Amino acid sequence: MNLDFTAQQLAFRDRVRDWLADNVPRQARPADGAEGREFDLAWQRTLYAGGWAGINWPTAYGGQGLDTFQQLIFLMEYTRCGAPGDHYRFNGLNLAGPTIIACGDEAQKQTYLPPILKGEVLWCQGFSEPAAGSDLAALQTRGVIDGDALVVNGAKIWTSWARFADWQQLLVRTDPAAPKHQGISWVINRMDNPGMQIRPIRDMAGGDDLHEVSYADVRIPLANVVGGLNNGWRVSMAQLAFERGTAFMPSQIETQKTIEELIELARTVRLEDGRLAIDDDHIAYQLATLRAETRSLLAMTLMGISRSERSGMPGPEGSMLKLFQSELYKRITALALEIMGPDRSLLGELTGRWPRAFLGSFANTLGGGTSEIMRNIIGERCLGLPK
Amino acid sequence: MDLLPTPEQQQIVDAAKTFLAREYPLGDALNGGGDAARAGSIALRAVAELGWLGIGLAESSGGVGYGLPEEALLFVELGRQLMPPCLLGAALGARVAAAAGAEDLCHAILAGERKVALGTPRSFAASVKATVSGEFLAFDTGDAELLLLTDDSGAALLEAGALELADADCIDPLLRASTLSCHASDTAAFVRAEAEPVFARGALLTGAMLLGIAEAVTDRAVAYAQEREQFGRPIGSFQAIKHNCADMAVRCECVRAMLYHASINAESLAAAAGFDLHCLKALAITAATLNAGTAVQIHGGMGYTEEMDIHLFVKRAQLLSPLFGGERYHLNKLLAEQRAD
Repeated sequence: MNLDFTAQQLAFRDRVRDWLADNVPRQARPADGAEGREFDLAWQRTLYAGGWAGINWPTAYGGQGLDTFQQLIFLMEYTRCGAPGDHYRFNGLNLAGPTIIACGDEAQKQTYLPPILKGEVLWCQGFSEPAAGSDLAALQTRGVIDGDALVVNGAKIWTSWARFADWQQLLVRTDPAAPKHQGISWVINRMDNPGMQIRPIRDMAGGDDLHEVSYADVRIPLANVVGGLNNGWRVSMAQLAFERGTAFMPSQIETQKTIEELIELARTVRLEDGRLAIDDDHIAYQLATLRAETRSLLAMTLMGISRSERSGMPGPEGSMLKLFQSELYKRITALALEIMGPDRSLLGELTGRWPRAFLGSFANTLGGGTSEIMRNIIGERCLGLPK
Repeated sequence: MDLLPTPEQQQIVDAAKTFLAREYPLGDALNGGGDAARAGSIALRAVAELGWLGIGLAESSGGVGYGLPEEALLFVELGRQLMPPCLLGAALGARVAAAAGAEDLCHAILAGERKVALGTPRSFAASVKATVSGEFLAFDTGDAELLLLTDDSGAALLEAGALELADADCIDPLLRASTLSCHASDTAAFVRAEAEPVFARGALLTGAMLLGIAEAVTDRAVAYAQEREQFGRPIGSFQAIKHNCADMAVRCECVRAMLYHASINAESLAAAAGFDLHCLKALAITAATLNAGTAVQIHGGMGYTEEMDIHLFVKRAQLLSPLFGGERYHLNKLLAEQRAD
């Protein structure tokens, strides 16, 4: 039990810190989608050129081949200096990439991994369907083998940044006769493939990064199946382990900053009666509780890393982290609005970030598995309760 | 960096679990209503022989020489098995005696020869200095020869024989409680918090005991939800029950991680040690009290009876929560702190 970094790790931290200080972009990320894409790719290219892309990815595919602790150190420094978030890069870096590393064949790794790190391509996900949300294994999008290709028909939904992505990790039903978990394949699809229609969906926070994507006789080479035909459920479970394990490490660390910013807000905002918000007991106790919970989120993150470092894979405890973090973030942003009083209704002010974050926070307990599904997983896989 | 216990630390945990389950099974407390009998039967000397009372104390003071992480791990197990607070009284009391240079007293406590009841101030007017004044409450009195009284400025050991202890009805049937008034009462040993942070250590170790309680009731609730059938199915298959169990497990995970983090930082005197400690105690109280309450609910009517042991955890969680600072104390402190890193 220790929190010490080795001399080597500390030297690594200093190198990260120095490089970031010189290279983090000064300008904010553009709100516009197309400009956002260019910004994200340019920043990824800068990271790659600096030797910081894919910290824990194998060197054979352009990564740095470093361990989880170095990834943690990197992310801590990264967050501290306010470097750009993953945004559109999220899927490739945290989901598609790690899944291909874990389950892809050699040709797939050589083809698809380096462009992610070099800032050439962006990825998106095609998992959920209009009729298969929490019950993901009920998905109906069909992939029928025709020669050396799959012919795909159906519809996907909640695909983030679909119209700005180059590639998609797609789940399709390739054996409708098999039990529902056994007839699914995980395939790589080009987003400019003929037969696809992409419709943006406006969300309650005012964004339009979510999409519904439909497929009409879309041909995907069989060589793009990752982890074997009809083996897609196992592949996607490996992926969800990343999603609920290490993929949100950046936002877990970011939350440490968010709560301090909220406390700072409470030290400057005055209530209707003229007192500072932080001098109000009702607000102070909520802030203190959230600060304690946020601190424990960091400790849980470190415990999760320690566990996966020992076992080699993120375990089902990742679902606890995902549940805890997303619910915590919702409470943090809701308290921000309480502190702001009537100004909470103004999006344009400097403090407009909080109402925006509040509205956006509803996505956290839905995306990547709802809180209810997380509780099912914790109950069944961590505690052994019956289905 | 590795937050998890080392194999050696895990051995301490496993040995404690095995010993406690064999020697002090909770079933004894339920059978024949021998609650006080169980408390009396806990042989302080037997526990002392294992080295537990001085596990975190330096070898030069007669302790085992492990650190706070090992001591915290042990106290999680003591909390889980509802072991009496006099064990915490001994661990902290020996520390007070050692810091005050009272070697013989320290050795007598570590050997289990002199039992230390654990006391806490009842009002803001209490003052723990070289002499002690104010109203106090103490647990595990009975045959205790010494009394440990602390506040966040210092800690004192008092000879119990010189004090007028009044027996009080205790919420916890496994323990004996007493009230007492001190008027410039003499101390056998006193140490200021700056020299030996007994209050902070007590807060961390009660946090550990509360984690033990939070985990114990989670295990019981999950086991019950697996076997109890209603509507033709185990009740654990219903989401209303399953999700409550999941939330209990998350609270345990959160406090366990926080306990590891806090005990490492306290041991290394890191700048964040105080901040971590306040976070831990506040979260541990919430986890233990909420989980115990949820466990009663999951056990249904049986959870409300004395025929199952859940009520003992509900009561012990309440008893331990305010010791060494309750919810408000630690929440106030942690908001006042600058985050250290």
